[in-house]
Amino acid sequence: MIKARHLRLLLGAPAVVLIFVFMILPITNMVEMSFRVPGTVEPFGDDYTLMHYTRVFGDSFYWGILARSLLTAGSVALLCLIVSYPIAWHLSKASGLKAALLYALIASPLMTGVLVRNFGWMIVTALNGPLNETLIGLGIISQPLRLLFTQGLVIVALVHVFVPFMVLPINNALRNIPDNLVEASVSMGASRYRVFRDIILPLSFPGIQPGLILVYVLAVAAYVTPALLGGQMVTYMPTMIIAELTGTFRWPLGSALAIMLSLSTILVVGLFTMLTWRLMERARA
Amino acid sequence: MATVDVKNLCKRYDDFVALDGVSIAARSGELVTLLGPSGCGKSTTLRCLAGFLEPDGGEMAVDGQSILATPSNRRGFGVVFQNYALFPHMTVAENIGYGLRLRKCSGSEITTRVHDVMSLVKLTGLEHRMPREISGGQQQRVALARALVLKPKLLLLDEPLANLDARLRDEVRWLIRDLQQQSGITAFYVTHDQSEAMAISDMVAVMKKGRVAQFATPREIYQKPVERYVADFTGEANFLSCRSLEACGEGRMRISVGGAELDVDCVPSLEPGEAAELLLRPESLQLATLGEDVTFRGRIVKSAFLGASQHCEIALADGGVLKLTTAPNAPVRIGDEVGIVVDRSHAWLMPEGTK
Ligand SMILES: Nc1ncnc2c1ncn2[C@@H]1O[C@H](COP(=O)(O)OP(=O)(O)OP(=O)(O)O)[C@@H](O)[C@H]1O
Ligand SMILES: [Mg+2]
Repeated sequence: MIKARHLRLLLGAPAVVLIFVFMILPITNMVEMSFRVPGTVEPFGDDYTLMHYTRVFGDSFYWGILARSLLTAGSVALLCLIVSYPIAWHLSKASGLKAALLYALIASPLMTGVLVRNFGWMIVTALNGPLNETLIGLGIISQPLRLLFTQGLVIVALVHVFVPFMVLPINNALRNIPDNLVEASVSMGASRYRVFRDIILPLSFPGIQPGLILVYVLAVAAYVTPALLGGQMVTYMPTMIIAELTGTFRWPLGSALAIMLSLSTILVVGLFTMLTWRLMERARA
Repeated sequence: MATVDVKNLCKRYDDFVALDGVSIAARSGELVTLLGPSGCGKSTTLRCLAGFLEPDGGEMAVDGQSILATPSNRRGFGVVFQNYALFPHMTVAENIGYGLRLRKCSGSEITTRVHDVMSLVKLTGLEHRMPREISGGQQQRVALARALVLKPKLLLLDEPLANLDARLRDEVRWLIRDLQQQSGITAFYVTHDQSEAMAISDMVAVMKKGRVAQFATPREIYQKPVERYVADFTGEANFLSCRSLEACGEGRMRISVGGAELDVDCVPSLEPGEAAELLLRPESLQLATLGEDVTFRGRIVKSAFLGASQHCEIALADGGVLKLTTAPNAPVRIGDEVGIVVDRSHAWLMPEGTK
């Protein structure tokens, strides 16, 4: 009895060690660092202080950037849901070769490296890039549009790459809905719209919720895409944190910003989970 | 409250013919059972009626009006599924009231009608449970209530009792029959359990590979089956191959079987001289006591004491075997020579069929 339990604990040991070394330690380290005084030669000095937090939480400049980060991530998650739901629906109805092909297509944004993908966006959306040229050629616009280095492009590019993280859980949830629930509601008189609203949508929520959370968290933390496609004018939390860490070497300030971002993300996700608790509870069959 | 006419219904899945000209009819308020082995097309027939499948040919009419062009959600039929198909994210009361909500009934009307139907199926008190929080029998009754509350023109039940244990099955079976008769709803009922079919149906359609082998009352199906397949499927049966000698009146035939000559009722289309089979249900056979008119003689080859009765098998001189049930108190011994008395009014002659 005791032996078996010990053995089971042992099985979990590698994971525990990994999490400890690569997550708990660095985070503890970072939290500690955020209370250090700025250093002159080293990244930080020996004494402790609250100055970074009073600065970060007291400055509307940082709040503005935080709000932009959170709102952008929120829009990315919502747009991603809208784009992904129909795809997930088709995927959930497909089988065999068609399903395999669809899976491959859906995963394709993840199969290109992050740099290649973003340079692709830069080339396509440049002032004299193929997109503008096509639109001008078709006579839809007369002046090239400034697409590159806008918030809109950052959002579009993030939606593009995060679609798989939304499609897969929703597809999973949709596949778990038995066909005869749909038949039952139809036989009671439901239109296609009512079937969707009353049966499919609520029962796919166990896929929607993790999809939204996953994409939101990924979008909040995204660095490369905002840095490359957002340009100098549009700053997000991750780009600013990296600038503090590697540009100006103010590690304690960067740490405080990173903690501000983490806490607010946890807060948003926690709030969302609480608000949707009832929906989830009901759909858990 | 509605008559239903299904004529020559055909349905193919790719190149597999699932329904090959099914014709059945239900008069107003009747319960019609589709009975048959797995894969014979019972569910397919029901799903065509419900509108979940589009038939490839044939006609379906309710009260004389074709329903072929009516979409499923306008047919106004109630459907009860084998696995209940309750909405897992709605409470019991919400499940039952769902159809009423679709019909835009007022809140108070929904409450009263849901309450009424719930007391009808004895579910009062479970309104706020989720489907996963109630037992299988209760789920079955929710499914039934959900269909009945809409006062459907036609009730379609696909093996509604298959997932229940034997005791519950009996209880819910009678509940279904009682409710169906009280409300006078015409119903189609799918099952592969012959005793269930016999017990509750007005009419039974025995299906065989996408066709209806026989469509008649339970009594007729059991006592006057048109072929061996039907007789086999509807209960314990003995078959003796025999020769039909001559017709002796309307639907009667003189036959020679096991060394005896008998006059028996027969399938009307049967011609004298044709190879035929005699159906003898175990309950129309008896072991002879002294002084009775013995039809067959044979030797007991198997016997089993079942408590309330005894079961035995008797080998006849010409190789035939008869199974029968006797009263429990006179012991039967293997090897005994016995005489068998046949209740000739319940012997039934059919054309020799492929098994
Ligand atoms: N979607 C389908 N595609 C192909 N063949 C099917 C399909 N559905 C049913 N069939 C076939 O059609 C035949 C009739 O099926 P049906 O479901 O009506 O049988 P059933 O009489 O209800 O049997 P059971 O008692 O097992 O439910 C079966 O042989 C089945 O294999
Ligand atoms: Mg079936």
